[in-house]
Formats: sequence, structure tokens, C-alpha cells
Amino acid sequence: MADAILTMEEIEKSFPGVHALDHVHFDVRRGEVHALMGENGAGKSTLMKVLTGIYTKDYGTITYEGKEVSFNNTREAQDAGIVIVHQELNMIGDLTVAQNIFIGREFMKGFKIDDKKMIEESKKLFDELKIDINPRDKMSDLTVGKQQMCEIAKAISHQAKVIIFDEPSAALTEKEIEDLFTIIRDLREKGMAIVYISHRMDEIKVITDRVTVMRDGGYVGTLITKDCTKEDIINMMVGRVIYEDPKTESKVPKDAPVVLKVEHLNAGRMVQDVSFELRKGEILGFSGLMGAGRTETARALFGADPKTSGDIYINGEKVTINSPQDAVKHGIGYLSEDRKRYGIVVQKTITENSTMATLEKYMSGIFINKSEEKKITEHYIEELATKTPSADQLVVNLSGGNQQKVVIAKWLVRDCDILIFDEPTRGIDVGAKNEIYKLMNRLASEGKSIIMISSEMTEILRMSDRIVVMCEGKKTGELDISEATQEKIMNKATRDIA
Amino acid sequence: MEKIKQNPFVRKVGFNRVILFCVLILMYAAFSLLVPGFFGKARIMSVMNYVYFLGFLSLGVTFVIATGGIDFSIGPVMFCCGLISGYTMMNKGAPVGVVLILSILIGFLFGVFNGYLVSYWTIPPFIVSMASMNIAKGIAAVYTKTQSVSWPLSTDPANGWFRNLVSFNGFPVGLVIFLLAAFICMVVLNNTRPGRYILCLGSNREAVRLSGVDTKKWEMLAYVICGTLVGIAAIFFVGAYTTVQPGYGDQYNNEAIAGCVMGGTSMAGGLASIGGTVIGVLIISLLQEGILALGFAKDIQLIVTGIIVIVVVYADVMARRRKN
Repeated sequence: MADAILTMEEIEKSFPGVHALDHVHFDVRRGEVHALMGENGAGKSTLMKVLTGIYTKDYGTITYEGKEVSFNNTREAQDAGIVIVHQELNMIGDLTVAQNIFIGREFMKGFKIDDKKMIEESKKLFDELKIDINPRDKMSDLTVGKQQMCEIAKAISHQAKVIIFDEPSAALTEKEIEDLFTIIRDLREKGMAIVYISHRMDEIKVITDRVTVMRDGGYVGTLITKDCTKEDIINMMVGRVIYEDPKTESKVPKDAPVVLKVEHLNAGRMVQDVSFELRKGEILGFSGLMGAGRTETARALFGADPKTSGDIYINGEKVTINSPQDAVKHGIGYLSEDRKRYGIVVQKTITENSTMATLEKYMSGIFINKSEEKKITEHYIEELATKTPSADQLVVNLSGGNQQKVVIAKWLVRDCDILIFDEPTRGIDVGAKNEIYKLMNRLASEGKSIIMISSEMTEILRMSDRIVVMCEGKKTGELDISEATQEKIMNKATRDIA
Repeated sequence: MEKIKQNPFVRKVGFNRVILFCVLILMYAAFSLLVPGFFGKARIMSVMNYVYFLGFLSLGVTFVIATGGIDFSIGPVMFCCGLISGYTMMNKGAPVGVVLILSILIGFLFGVFNGYLVSYWTIPPFIVSMASMNIAKGIAAVYTKTQSVSWPLSTDPANGWFRNLVSFNGFPVGLVIFLLAAFICMVVLNNTRPGRYILCLGSNREAVRLSGVDTKKWEMLAYVICGTLVGIAAIFFVGAYTTVQPGYGDQYNNEAIAGCVMGGTSMAGGLASIGGTVIGVLIISLLQEGILALGFAKDIQLIVTGIIVIVVVYADVMARRRKN
């Protein structure tokens, strides 16, 4: 492996309470496209952040061009020739293509910026890459695909020797992906080392030479792409032991009434023709990889974001939901994945948060009936075993698990029958996690119907009665818990070879 | 110190309010020592004249700032109310009772205008209120043909009675009305749905919206309450100072906002204290009286309020940063 330009060995990184990287090995050679794969949270991004100096590693060595290196920030990594092309493009829409490419290192002519030279240099870059873009165009006038090309051109202008593509194809059309691949192949010919992070199995097969798989922060293995199958890769991605007992069969009767029916829901690129049913007392898991459109589906259903089309039926009756107000009126409660931003008002008390959705019921005349309000809050503090000295405590002082309980209380006070839990245990420690699970099971057994979006496979298999799998804005499958396996889910969650 | 902080009364009122009140007393003592004859009823009544109109402005803007917004139109809108209603009375013969209501109505309409643009058209409050400040000045100037308007004196048999709202036979009626208004604002803010939602949306709008609350409606209401109180402020301004001139009023924006933020209302929204606003207004009013009494020009006062706004908002920003 004499030609490896970059080798990362025994990389360790911990965050408080999380062992994010555990003895990870990764190397990439000149003239190679090397895929880095793994589920959400497997540690791919963390590894790349350690490489480019955003995080400092706790242990391990990085060897680059034969020398041990340690970058303190992305700038140093960039100067050394290691560049990331991000999924979200870091371009300034109002500047021209040339201005964007040379931002922060503009050519000067005395005190004046030498726009002419920047345009010439950009042209040279584009010619070299065989890309047809006018450097004088405004960045915001270009398609996403073209913008990405500009990012690549920018990376190359940094004399890059290693280019990391972080899910480059997520926002691109088929044709744009073809163009991207042409460029990547071209770069490979020129001897550049390319790291390609993607969830798309078909692309991995087409464009990469080797695949390294990570799982739960650890290194699983590296395969030669042409010698392996999609199944091999999936097995490596999911092959973890599940400690908690997964649910083996659903206790929800097959003829339980359908409380919510969604038909042909469309909302932008991330929600395309999604249909599903939710039965009374059921926990319906939504599985998929990052960016599959699960949260977007929930938000569109809840009226938090506008939808383009689709019908929603509650208890068999067609309803119109254009705003969260409508959704709440029809008994739907949404528990966001980002509690602090979308779930609770942290600088207010538990009481104020608990009655947020139901305040009109706790009025006497025009005044808020504070004693009634407190009574119901205390009832739910006890019921949900929320740990707090009093109902007047500011929510900011509670732990993640207890904050989640406050959000749950908000919807229970409102008496919502349909609850959408989006990543219900994100940011919650293990003990509190189990408590939230128990609570969800209890709510379901009491006749509430739950949609649970989760990126954790173990959570999906442990909690769901049925599982909807999404991929890139489309529903790609539905499984009963009795037939669901990690492999089956992952198979549907990754895009098939076209 | 900790002991004082734990005192039940102090906890209820808020430690910062107690400090602020001490500052007020100390300031009064200092001016009384520095300026011979400052101590006494005459000065207090003079300070009170300032408190009334500034107090209503400050109460109003407290609601807006509680949503996380801002209103830079309050001073000029107050002048616009005073000018249009005064002109209608003096030049068109409308009785004072009618034009007092007209003044409140004009304030209300500006509140509706500002609120609608901010919450339904989502134009930044800074821009909206800057624009409506100019509009208010313009309308008033056009309507009065750029003439200043002097309201009738208390000796006026038909229309002079409105001055009794400010003071009646030396009794500060205005103070009673202002404190009553402050009390109502306090109840609205702490014990009613509008107040609860205004404070909560100021803290985290998206979380409130996703709880199924019509945040736009409640946000707009804050501006409407503010506008209405500005219309009332105009009545106390002309009741105390008689004459209104077109094209002015801006300086009171800063003073009202300073009084409000000094009292513990956060510029970031979500936190508001009416009691604090009342003390803040007293401090600002006493300060301007004191500066004049010390023999400084009115312009010094502009410098002082300018500095106060910066210091107070900086303190608020720092307190927030510490918390996070």
C-alpha cells in the first residue's frame, strides 16, 4: 500500500457520554475513489471532521504524503490539499461564479480586486474539468448541479490532492449525477484521491473502487467494490447485536380502526406521493436514512410546512390541515426531533409549556385560571414521573428526558389521539430512554396512535408494530414487525440499482 | 446579599427591580443635594408631567419588545395623534371629547398597520416602524399644513376640561390613571391569553406555532395594544405641554425603549416586567428634569439617554450570554 496518500490509523474520539470513533482505520490512494459508508451516526462525518481539523482526535495517527500531520482547522487542511465538498453548498448567491471560487484569496491589482484575472483563472479551471459554466454568471442563477461543479472547481483551485465528497448527489438530477461522475473519473485519472460519502448503493457500485464501512463509531471493514454485492455492504452496515428485545409481533388487532389515513401526500422534493394508514393503538415506525423525507412528511402532515397535494382522513373523515392549528384541532400532536427549537419554550415554566396548546380550557372569563392550570400540570408531572422540584420550574433547568416529558404532557393535556414522535429519544440518556419507551407503549395500549420517526434501527425494531420505510422522499416499503429485519429495512432505505 | 435575594418579597418583585428602585431614590437624593430647591412638590409635579406620556409610550412598547420586536414609530405617532386630533378641534370645531377618542383611534390604527405588516407580511419590525414613523410625520404635517397646534388651556370654558385628566386642583389625576393603566397591563401580560402567548412567542415563536397557536394574531395584537397606548400618551402630552409641532417626536422613542429595557424587559423578547417599566420611566423622567435643573442644555439629555440605552441593552445581552 505504498501509494496511499492518506492513512488514518487507530483514530479515537470521544464526546461526553459518547464514544464517537473507536479505533478507526481509513486510507485512500492516489487515483482511487474510496467510498465511506455507514448508517446515520456511524461516525463518517466525525471521521472527516477529525481529518480536516474541525475536531481534534484523542488518539491515533494521520499520515499524509508520508508525514504525520495534525491539522488545527479546515484552512490548514485546505492549504495542505485536503478539501471537502459539502452537501450543503457554501456559496454566496449574489456573487459571480469567479468571485465565489476565489473568495478570501482574490487577485489584487493595487487596491482593486482584479476581476478579470479571476474570470480568466476560473475559465482555465472549467476548461480543465470540461465544465460549461460562464464565470461571470451569478451563482444564484445556476442549478444546484452547476453550483456543485463550482465547488469542485474551487476545491481543485486549492491544489487539492484529496477531495472528500459528502453526499454530493443528494440534490442532483440523474443527468447532473452523470456529469458529476464524468468529472470524478477525470479527477481519478489525474491521480487525485477521492473520498465519496453516500447512501446510494448504486452509485457506490458505479463510481468507487473500494468501500470502507463504519458502524457505531467503529471500523467494520474495507472491500473491493467490484468483488462485493449490495447485500455484503448492507450486512456490514447493520450487523450489530441488538441488546434490547425487538418486538416480534404486533398486539394491535388486524381490524383495529384506521384513525389516520394519508393519501398521496406531496410537499416539495422531500415528500413525494406518500400514503399510509395508522390504526388505533398502533406504533407506526418511520425508518430511513438521513434525508429520506420522514421529518418533512410529518411536518407536512401536521401543517407546519405547506404541502402541494394530498388527502388526509381522520377516523374516516376527510380533513383539511393547512396549519398546526388545524392539526391540533383534529387531535394531532407533533413532538419535534429538535425539542429546544420546536418543542418547548425553555425560558418558561413547566406549567406554561404544558398548557400551551390548551390554554383556552384553563380560563375563567378573560383570566387564566392559574390554580387549575397548575393542577393539571402537577397531574401530568406525577403521571409521567417528570423529575422536577415544582411545576413552576423553568424548562431550561430540566434534563433532555424530562423536557421530552413536558412536550408529551402538552399533547396529553390537549387530549391528542394521534402523536407524532420525531426521534423521541435523541439527546436523551439511556435510562431516560427506556422510560420514554415505556411511556410510548403505555400510551399506545391506552388507545393513542403513534407515528414514530427514528433513525435508530434498534428503536424501530423494538417499538414499532408496523414499519414504513422511506428513501429520498418516497415511501419504499412497509413491513409488519413480524417480518421486519435490519437487512430488509436497510435494503429498502437505500436506493436500488436503477 | 444572598439573603436579600432570598427574601420572599424581593423574589416576588425581582431583585433587579429592587435595585432599580434604589437607583431612583438615590438619583432623587443626589439631584436634591446638587440643585437647591429641587426637593419639593413643584419639581415632582414637573417630573410627573413627563412620566404620564412617557409612561404610556413605554407601557405600549413593552408589549412589542416582549414579542421580540421593536417599534420606533411611537414618538412620532404620538405627535401625529396630538396634531390631527388637536387640529380637528381647533380648526374644524370638533368637541374635545370626540377628538380625545380620535387620538386613541389614530394610535390604534397605526398599531394595526404596524402589526399587520410585521406579523402577516413578515417585514422586519425595525423597517416597518421606521417607515410608519415617516408616514406619521408626513400625514400630520400634510393635515395641519405644517403648522404647530396648541391645545386649549384649562381656562377654556368648552374644551379646557380635558386638562383635569392630568391634574385636578393640584391633585395628580394623571398619576392615578397611569398607575391604573400599568396595573391593567400587568394583568394582561401575566394573567390573560394574549399576555401569555405574547411572552411565549417572544421566547420561541416556532414552538408556540407548532403548539397550534395562531402566533400571527397574537403578535399583531401586541402592536395594536402599543398603538392604542400611544394614542392615550398623546392626550397626556398635550395635557401637560399644550403645543405639538409637526416633524418631531423621535427622541421619545429612545426614552420609552430605555425605560422599558431598564425595567427588565429583554430586547430579545420573552421577558417583560411592567413594574420595571414604571420604575424605568420614573428614572428617565427624573433624569431629564435633573439635567435641566443642573443647568445643562436639553441636548445633554439626548446624549445621556443614548448612553443609557446602550448600557442597559448591553447588560441584557451579557446576562443572556451568561445564561447560555
